Amino acid sequence: MSETTAKPAKSRGWRISRRGFLIGAGVVGAGLALGVTFGLPELHLRVAGMLDNAAGPPSNMPTDPWAWFEITPDNAVKLYIGKAEMGQGVHTAIAQIAVEELGVAWGDLEVVQATTANGPADPSGTSGSSSVTGVYTPLRQAAATLRTMLQTEAARVLNQPADTLTVHERGFLSQAPAARHITFAELMAGKTDWEAPEETIPLKDFRDFTVIGQPLPRVDIPAKVTGQAGYGYDVKRPGMKFGAVLRPPTLEAKLRSVDGSAAATLPGVRQVIIEEGFTGVVADSRAQAQAAVAALQADWDLGKLWQQDELDAHVTVGGDNAIVIQRAGRAPDLLTDQITHQAEYRTPLAVQTPLEAQAALAEWEGDRVRVWVSTQMHARVRDVVADAVGINADNVEIIPTYLGGGFGRKSGFDVAVEAAKLARAAGVPVHVGWSRAEELRHGYFRPPTHHRLAAQLDDRGQIIALRHEQASGDVAFGFLPGFLQVVMGADFGATRGARIHYAIPNIQTVTWRRPLPVVTGWWRGLGLLANTYAVESFMDELAHQAGIDPLQFRLNHLGDDPRSRRMAAVLEAAAARADWGTPLPPGRARGIACCSDVDTVVAEIAEVSLDDATGQIRVHQVTAAMDCGLVINPDGARAQVEGNIMWGVGSTLLEEARIVDGAVALDNFNNYPVLSLRAAPHVETVLLEAGDGQPRGVGEPPIGPVAAAIGNAVFALTGTRLRELPMTPARVQAARAAAPTAA
Amino acid sequence: MNLTINGVLTPIADDDPNRMLLWVLRDELELTGTKYGCGAGLCGACTVIVDGVATRACITPVSLVADRSITTIEGLASPDGLHPVQQAFIDHQVPQCGWCMSGQIMTAAALLAATPAPNADDIDSALGGNLCRCGCYVRIRRAVAAAAKTAAAKTAVTQTHEVSA
Repeated sequence: MSETTAKPAKSRGWRISRRGFLIGAGVVGAGLALGVTFGLPELHLRVAGMLDNAAGPPSNMPTDPWAWFEITPDNAVKLYIGKAEMGQGVHTAIAQIAVEELGVAWGDLEVVQATTANGPADPSGTSGSSSVTGVYTPLRQAAATLRTMLQTEAARVLNQPADTLTVHERGFLSQAPAARHITFAELMAGKTDWEAPEETIPLKDFRDFTVIGQPLPRVDIPAKVTGQAGYGYDVKRPGMKFGAVLRPPTLEAKLRSVDGSAAATLPGVRQVIIEEGFTGVVADSRAQAQAAVAALQADWDLGKLWQQDELDAHVTVGGDNAIVIQRAGRAPDLLTDQITHQAEYRTPLAVQTPLEAQAALAEWEGDRVRVWVSTQMHARVRDVVADAVGINADNVEIIPTYLGGGFGRKSGFDVAVEAAKLARAAGVPVHVGWSRAEELRHGYFRPPTHHRLAAQLDDRGQIIALRHEQASGDVAFGFLPGFLQVVMGADFGATRGARIHYAIPNIQTVTWRRPLPVVTGWWRGLGLLANTYAVESFMDELAHQAGIDPLQFRLNHLGDDPRSRRMAAVLEAAAARADWGTPLPPGRARGIACCSDVDTVVAEIAEVSLDDATGQIRVHQVTAAMDCGLVINPDGARAQVEGNIMWGVGSTLLEEARIVDGAVALDNFNNYPVLSLRAAPHVETVLLEAGDGQPRGVGEPPIGPVAAAIGNAVFALTGTRLRELPMTPARVQAARAAAPTAA
Repeated sequence: MNLTINGVLTPIADDDPNRMLLWVLRDELELTGTKYGCGAGLCGACTVIVDGVATRACITPVSLVADRSITTIEGLASPDGLHPVQQAFIDHQVPQCGWCMSGQIMTAAALLAATPAPNADDIDSALGGNLCRCGCYVRIRRAVAAAAKTAAAKTAVTQTHEVSA
């Protein structure tokens, strides 16, 4: 795969539509109208309904072929992809979508990472499991249009009917009267006044696909096994130096003064930059830059020294400012004094910590700057860098590299701004690469959550009423303008997965926003893991309360709508693959959980054991069944299921960050352990397809059920319900020592 | 000072013999295939092979390896093609983001050199210190086991040839 950054040919008489996209624009428009009509509480309820299982923001991607494709004079066919490749296989999936309609052989298409200066405008970035769903139709339209246009021209040049020509070796082949071949480049060379076809070119029926749906090998993998793949941390430019930045010692620290004179005299130091809100150093080596930052004499006002207990107390359900995000029947009335069962759950502060820490290189040329950066949001980074350095966005080019992991953390802008500021001050290209400690302490975090659930069961074991109350730190709201918060009411990130998807006559889901002194934000699946953990653990509690098998109990509560039928199918498929209901060896047990997210449905079954002496949980196997609609690349989809499960197991058993004396008390992987190979379960994956030809997201949904499936398995094994993450040996032993759960 | 990297005697600056091999490779020699993950020997992303032993470059001062043979991911393949571990990582479509993969592959290559027929425990034990945040663990296990078989088959073929020659 190439890392070409040349601009594709565009000015060929095509009108290019580049509509900007504002996050939630549709929500605002529809929402304001509704708000005027119904008032805010009703508006918030309706917005939550609109966003529930929505397939990410509308992409508004172009259908103009020249926004996506370039045919070079030497007949290379290039596809420009704005989506960031962070291991989810998106470049391969998008190339498959293009090749399906373009008709060239798989190896004849070259994939190029687009920058902000070339390729299709992509303001929504790479997030929310929405890349394939957003690209799917516009790119097929662009590819089909390009093929038709080239075929029409080939027919004219070869003087043959267009429908007798076939795509062959990056050109067209005509069979009669004699075999003749003309390349795309030859067609391009002879013509400058291309016109868009009047009519919309019909697309292939999905049942006829030959490239989409194939487990083609990923285009980025060969470079990743030879050390040749280029990441943000790897960028080299002639004359480059290294930057490092002064970080606040506490969450609320304010810099009173800083003296850089001692730092400036250290070996290798080129520049000490002190400006309002930003202090950094440029040096010949990273170690020298870091040493110089350590030598800065900074006087800090530390602010309030927060402790984790204070945050946890704050993130607790109840009180004013409740936002109702789901309502059916009369749950509040029924659950006032007729509660059959209730329980509370907690999930902790956690951090994404991709293995490649934040990294960027900035290079100025006059008043223009180019920034190579490991980012999920190159269009947004361009605007933020432009603002930060006070130049027009047109003078900023953001060049996304491969990402050494994203998981939501590469949606930030900090490192690109730091590199741009330091490079301008030093007058040379500057690379900034964060340390692991910076990555663990100075980004944004998965917020802690608290959940209280209550239900009423009837004597046949059916749920009459169910309420989910949820409090969370911000996920999206910390990054959205205030007017959107007013319209939306609830933070759609924090509440992802919070609404109940079972057919229960009386339902209420309520949320409380709890802004925290620590910045919280994007994380794989946003609130999906936390909310699914609470809801699906509680469903398990109710199943045991009712004396009904947890699989059957879930099936008993599914409705008759299409998504519920798909959910039943994945539950049954996972159960069949995992031999649900059959005996296991002593000391082992299974637990089941499911979720629906971005209209993808997933069911997972965990098989666990427990070390009685230590309280250590071992997850032996997770069996997943997922229906994400039309699958573009089944091997890629399986890889995403596997990765989500590992991420989920780590979150369930290990991951927890704590605030101590006003700061994030993390240094490295020694005190923020993540899942290792030794503790990794075996994974079995079953893929089902909805059969409607529509792709849905796969990058996040399978993380949802993991924690609940593990906790439910531990309950099946021990009779002890684990209501707090992570399920560390200490928590397991404490829960077992307490009175057994009445369930 | 000189380092022998991928069979090539490579001069480096003498000024600080305590600087870590990782940053000499990455920032001075532009061999960026060896990755930074933690800087403390905790994640394995920086693993290179020094005289046959998987070694964490992020905590190895260059002075310690001056007279030793260092192999990085860039030097693992032979003129005949990819190392069996590299090929297996392609065949089994192991990498996701890829940032840890040089370290995984170098660790696995050192394992197979020392233990040509590893069992499942050997693999989990050797690679247990190589973190993969994307969670490619199922495929890592599968690929390393497959690479061991391929390497064994190649060795067997070579030995047959030697016997017949």
